[in-house]
Amino acid sequence: MPVPAPSQTVSDLRSLLAARFPERARRPHGGVPASVRAVDEALGGGLPAGRLTELVCAAPSSGGQTILASLLAATQAARQRIALVDGSDAFAPGSVPADLLRHLVWVRCRAPGQAFSAADILVRDGNYAVVALDLRGCAERALRRTPASLWYRLQRAAEGGSVAVLVQTPFPLVPAVPARLVLDRPMSLADADAERGDVAARLGVRADRAHLQAAEERLAG
Amino acid sequence: MNYAVLVVPDFALHALRRSDPSLRGRPVALVAGEGRRARVTQASPEARGVAPGLAATLAMSRCPGIVLRPPDPASEVEAGRLLVAAGFTLSPRVEATAPGCCTVDLRGADPARTEALMRLRAAEIACAGLPLRAGAGATPLLASYAARLADPVLVVSDARGFLAPLPLAFAEPTAVQEGILAGWGIATLGGLTALPKAEVGRRLGADGALLWERAAGEATRVLRHVEPARSFAAEWAYEPPVESTEPLFFKLRRYAERIALELRGAGFVADRLSLTLLLEDESDHRREFRLPEPGADVDGWLRVLGSHLEGVRTQARVAGVRLVASPARPPERQEGLFDTGLRDPASFWENIARIAAIVGDDRVGTPACADTHRPDAFTMGRPAESVAPALRAPVHPEYGPTLRRFRPPWPVRVAFDGGSPARLEGGRLEGGVRAATGPWLAAGDWWRPEAWAAETWQVELAAGGVYQLARTAGGWCVEGMLD
Repeated sequence: MPVPAPSQTVSDLRSLLAARFPERARRPHGGVPASVRAVDEALGGGLPAGRLTELVCAAPSSGGQTILASLLAATQAARQRIALVDGSDAFAPGSVPADLLRHLVWVRCRAPGQAFSAADILVRDGNYAVVALDLRGCAERALRRTPASLWYRLQRAAEGGSVAVLVQTPFPLVPAVPARLVLDRPMSLADADAERGDVAARLGVRADRAHLQAAEERLAG
Repeated sequence: MNYAVLVVPDFALHALRRSDPSLRGRPVALVAGEGRRARVTQASPEARGVAPGLAATLAMSRCPGIVLRPPDPASEVEAGRLLVAAGFTLSPRVEATAPGCCTVDLRGADPARTEALMRLRAAEIACAGLPLRAGAGATPLLASYAARLADPVLVVSDARGFLAPLPLAFAEPTAVQEGILAGWGIATLGGLTALPKAEVGRRLGADGALLWERAAGEATRVLRHVEPARSFAAEWAYEPPVESTEPLFFKLRRYAERIALELRGAGFVADRLSLTLLLEDESDHRREFRLPEPGADVDGWLRVLGSHLEGVRTQARVAGVRLVASPARPPERQEGLFDTGLRDPASFWENIARIAAIVGDDRVGTPACADTHRPDAFTMGRPAESVAPALRAPVHPEYGPTLRRFRPPWPVRVAFDGGSPARLEGGRLEGGVRAATGPWLAAGDWWRPEAWAAETWQVELAAGGVYQLARTAGGWCVEGMLD
């Protein structure tokens, strides 16, 4: 008896799950463009609503904060509300135009625990288009000790809702996240003289599907 | 409908059960007297076979597992305040007539609206643990008769028709009067009022005329109004002290229900809550909560308080609690036609308050840059209800990556070479500098005690990363990373 290829097994399994749980299999509705071409292309149009997106800022000055500023501009243009759960209180209001702050709810946390509690509340709120959870700058040990159940809880809370959840991390952290982008190219001082739009356009963003491939291989046996 | 009477049957028993969660669903009876003379005064429906007047020992044998308790004056006072607070939500003229009974002067109020309010209040007070009965009528006496028969609200518009079938006992005749009237074949109020009042007075005397008036529901009186609450606070003690949040939440809810009702009765809402835990070692833990959306919703308050209490660790057990609500006028707003408002305003403000309870009042909100060039100067304001349209594009576009601040800044030693930073040492950030731009010199507030001055550089490290350095009065530091 011929053994089906792993990709065929996974495909069959997905079809079976889609037939059995149509609610779960439904594609997220809409998305929030980040106004950064590389990010939007990698995500197929923008941050998917009802899903978590992990943005790994693997190198210093790799552009995580610039993407956040672009998101502020994009949500302001769409007249949507955005929440920033700032795990290490690092957001600098003075570095973005004042007009881009009026629709922002900024939560200045002192510890990752506070950030997770706040994010859990905000994701369920229903009034936000985007909830950005910025965990950069938090103690690595504390982040690595985050139980996986907490991430699954956050994912379940986002599912079915209209909020796009962006998690910014210093290293890959979110288990089984549907979309993970990696910023690993540091900027140079020359970028300081470029227009911010150009800086954002030059960001080195790559989609990381290694964790999904690994999961598929595990499923395929 | 000139008057309303709010009554809680078996008030002392319900007040006790309301204050003690361990009595919920169990057979309970209140007893008066001691030893063999102890008698049941009030019994809960679960105490089958037990009725007022029964000896305590007999009650225990008839209903195994019954909890016998003496009356608890403190819980009765609190329940009484809740009842009066409910009265003040109907009218500003309220009389605390008796324990578990208050009379409200409704003259001038809209009857339809008042009846709806009474029903609403009866449901709320029932949820708060007191089965409220409310009656309304032309006189206080008629309202009290209605309250005794209400389930939970009864408004009497046709007094004669309502009174006619009621038993004579409603008018509280003396034993002598009852005997005489029984001899006349009169057993109902309608039967008595069918007789001419003057003739009844001639045969039964002045007391007989008063009885006739009571039977007709005509007896009126001047109410002794009570003062509305001036402070919106509660304080209670735990004996023995508690070390878990469950008993805290139970009592918090009970007292918050009363405070919220008192606020609403006075036309206020709360904009701040102050919670003080009085600890066993005579220290205390105090925390003030600014409610982003002022309100008198107990569930919302408790979610805010709960978010905080779940993370509180105290050195000693909690011996008492003080809860104070700061009154404020209810917010009034009118949204613009094209504003994109909140989908769920209640949830939005409640969640802001819950997060404030976790991170602190001053650490959640919408930032706004302060009117100064001082670095990192901003204020946290109340989030806007609606997202306004974007202003026109700025004349000068933003340049460079966005700054990501280190709070507090990282101290560092900077080695210079040829007038510009060449190496960072001795801090969380070390390494050679590949390129640097600067300095930018800024100073301000020199006319104030908090004058400031800074020399700022941007440096790119050889190991990667662009950082912003600043030299201030405190020395060199890394202000943040350009990201």
